[in-house]
Amino acid sequence: MALDPETAVGAGLALIGAGLAIGIAGLGTGVAQAQIGAAAVGATAENPKMFGRGMILMVLPETIVILGFVVAFLLLGAT
Amino acid sequence: MLRPEEMTRAVIVGSARNLDATIECLYDLGVLHLIDFTEQDEEFMLGQPLAGASDASQKLLKLRAMIRTLNIDEHKPVGQIPVQELRDKLTQALATLDLNTSSKAEDRQRIQSLMRERESEIKSLEPFRQFGIPVEDFDGYDNVSSFVGICKTAPGPALSSRLSMMELFEEVRKPDVAVAVFVRNDDRSEVSRILAEHGFQEVKLPRLKGDPGEIIERLTKEIEKLNADLQRIETDLDAIRKKFADFIIASEEDLAIEVLKAETPLKIAASANSFVIDGWVPSSRLADIKTALGDLTDGHVFVDTVEAHKEEEPPVKLKNPGAVKPFEFLINLVSTPKYEEIDPTLILFITFPLFFGFMIGDLGFGLALAALGAFIRAKFRSSEDLSRLGTIILLGGIVAAIFGIFVFAEAFGIPFHPPEESPDEYTWQTVVDIPVHPMLDKMHDIQEMLAISLVAGWLHLSVGFIFGFVNNFHHNRKHSYGKVAWLVLLLGLFAQLMAIAGNSTATSAFINDTVLFWMPGSTIDVMGIGVLVPALAMILGAVTLLPFTEGALALTEVIGLFTNLVSYARLAALSVGKGAMALAFNSMLLPLVFDSGNILIAIGGALALIVSQLFFVFFLGALSSGIQAVRLNFVEFFLKFFEGGGTDFNPLKYERKHSVATK
Repeated sequence: MALDPETAVGAGLALIGAGLAIGIAGLGTGVAQAQIGAAAVGATAENPKMFGRGMILMVLPETIVILGFVVAFLLLGAT
Repeated sequence: MLRPEEMTRAVIVGSARNLDATIECLYDLGVLHLIDFTEQDEEFMLGQPLAGASDASQKLLKLRAMIRTLNIDEHKPVGQIPVQELRDKLTQALATLDLNTSSKAEDRQRIQSLMRERESEIKSLEPFRQFGIPVEDFDGYDNVSSFVGICKTAPGPALSSRLSMMELFEEVRKPDVAVAVFVRNDDRSEVSRILAEHGFQEVKLPRLKGDPGEIIERLTKEIEKLNADLQRIETDLDAIRKKFADFIIASEEDLAIEVLKAETPLKIAASANSFVIDGWVPSSRLADIKTALGDLTDGHVFVDTVEAHKEEEPPVKLKNPGAVKPFEFLINLVSTPKYEEIDPTLILFITFPLFFGFMIGDLGFGLALAALGAFIRAKFRSSEDLSRLGTIILLGGIVAAIFGIFVFAEAFGIPFHPPEESPDEYTWQTVVDIPVHPMLDKMHDIQEMLAISLVAGWLHLSVGFIFGFVNNFHHNRKHSYGKVAWLVLLLGLFAQLMAIAGNSTATSAFINDTVLFWMPGSTIDVMGIGVLVPALAMILGAVTLLPFTEGALALTEVIGLFTNLVSYARLAALSVGKGAMALAFNSMLLPLVFDSGNILIAIGGALALIVSQLFFVFFLGALSSGIQAVRLNFVEFFLKFFEGGGTDFNPLKYERKHSVATK
């Protein structure tokens, strides 16, 4: 991570971008999982056999934050 | 492995007088999954329960009622009682027990309800005992209305300012105020309004006569007497419990088994003189049934195999070697595989510990987890699911410890040796010099770890597509070629990702040189990214094939496959995240322990370190690593081939825990 005065601002912006990428992606995942999780727990309470299916649905939105992580990582590489 | 136990459809036919012996024998063998008989006609009807079924059920009902009365449903008998002994004593014991417990139980109920009544009378009289008014004088007047109850705040001032004629009794108690107001009938509604403002709640007084204080005293004495009676009954019941609990529980088990067997004919076909039992038997055990039944009935019962219809799906009994078997627990969480499907337990056995171990990747935490797993396994031996979970954690922990030693060279988040980038870090070197240097450093080799994750993802997903190909090959050829298209698409994506990584990581360099060496390296430039021509050709080719094999909608899932592959980045992400968390706690708290020079601060720091490492790194880390390792299998891997929805193999059998069969 070069902090050369000439590119420092650009690097800083890229770092902020990396933070935003993972932070906002995380929020998105959270919003999605909150609703799916509540429904999945409800379904599992009624029929324990739903656990596996509930879990699969529950973790689907995690992909969003993983993509955020990858973007953040690529941005870190770019600085 | 990979395939469930092979099943054969067996039909057992015999004359009606051999039915008892046949059923007994089938339960003893425990290998026949019964198919319920439904198509009744004039010849064949549902069978009748065996002799003694109704007698046994009646006794069972009585015993269960007793178990409830004596409250011993949680009782665990020590040792097992021989069945013969149970049956010899049962009739006599039931008669004595029934007489004793049911009358005692009735008495107990009567006394308890009397006590409750007395207590509620005391509770309603208590607030008003200071007023000195006999209970019968609180109401029953022609021209005067009375309000007796509890207010939240004292209504006295409000009442006296509004009404000229009234008699008010007030007693301020701690949270509320006991009130008795006597007014003319004309003022009734006014008073009721004022009282409502003070949160008035009426108290219904019991229909008794005399001074409340004296009544309360009398009732209290009565309760004491009742309580003594209750204690006596409880002591008697306790004695019964001590003497008979083992017997009752064991008898209940024996009778339940009797009833289960006796009612089995209700599920099979029977004519006037014969019976037909239809079911699935593991092919390897078919000979056992034949010999056992043949010997028992001198060849009067025949076992024959029939060709199963296509639409009849055999039940599924997973077949895995001992070490792999615990992982069936994870499969069961999703669904039982279909009979025709590949059983993916073996892949879980391989990938779960590897993924889990890579994410934890720490000698200390790995050993701690292995110990935890071993503990769960030993402690919950009786629960199959929990002991399987224990084994899974144990294996995961061991692999994590191995990763911890040889790959990451750290224990409890503290490296064996200082990394080049930060030579001042606390390390184990000050305590003991472990001659292992890390192959990967969680804080500084993130790219390398990401590349490893992608390779793991590629391999895992490829196996998934190959399984999908095999699953579909026999009944949907087109679909199975679709899986090949996906496999090619995946390889194209992977090759492209590896080409982008190029020589920046040792892993991608290795893959490019060995696994993908045959691929021409020519690239074209698309928006600043060097696109590998063969990879592009594979992706485009596969995408063209997809609509013809999997349907046009499959095209929308092409991006999904990319996210599936990238999803394995969580392996690196969790490992790094956990490492960073452990490092953060260590670098904040270790200086307090070693450099503060103050013994109190050092002890406080050490405690904080233990708590934070235990909860945040160990428990949360193990939990999330476990969930993610399972998830990669359930979501990314299973969705490529797994349908599930098979019927569990559920043979006729029973288990005796508290009783022992006697010849």
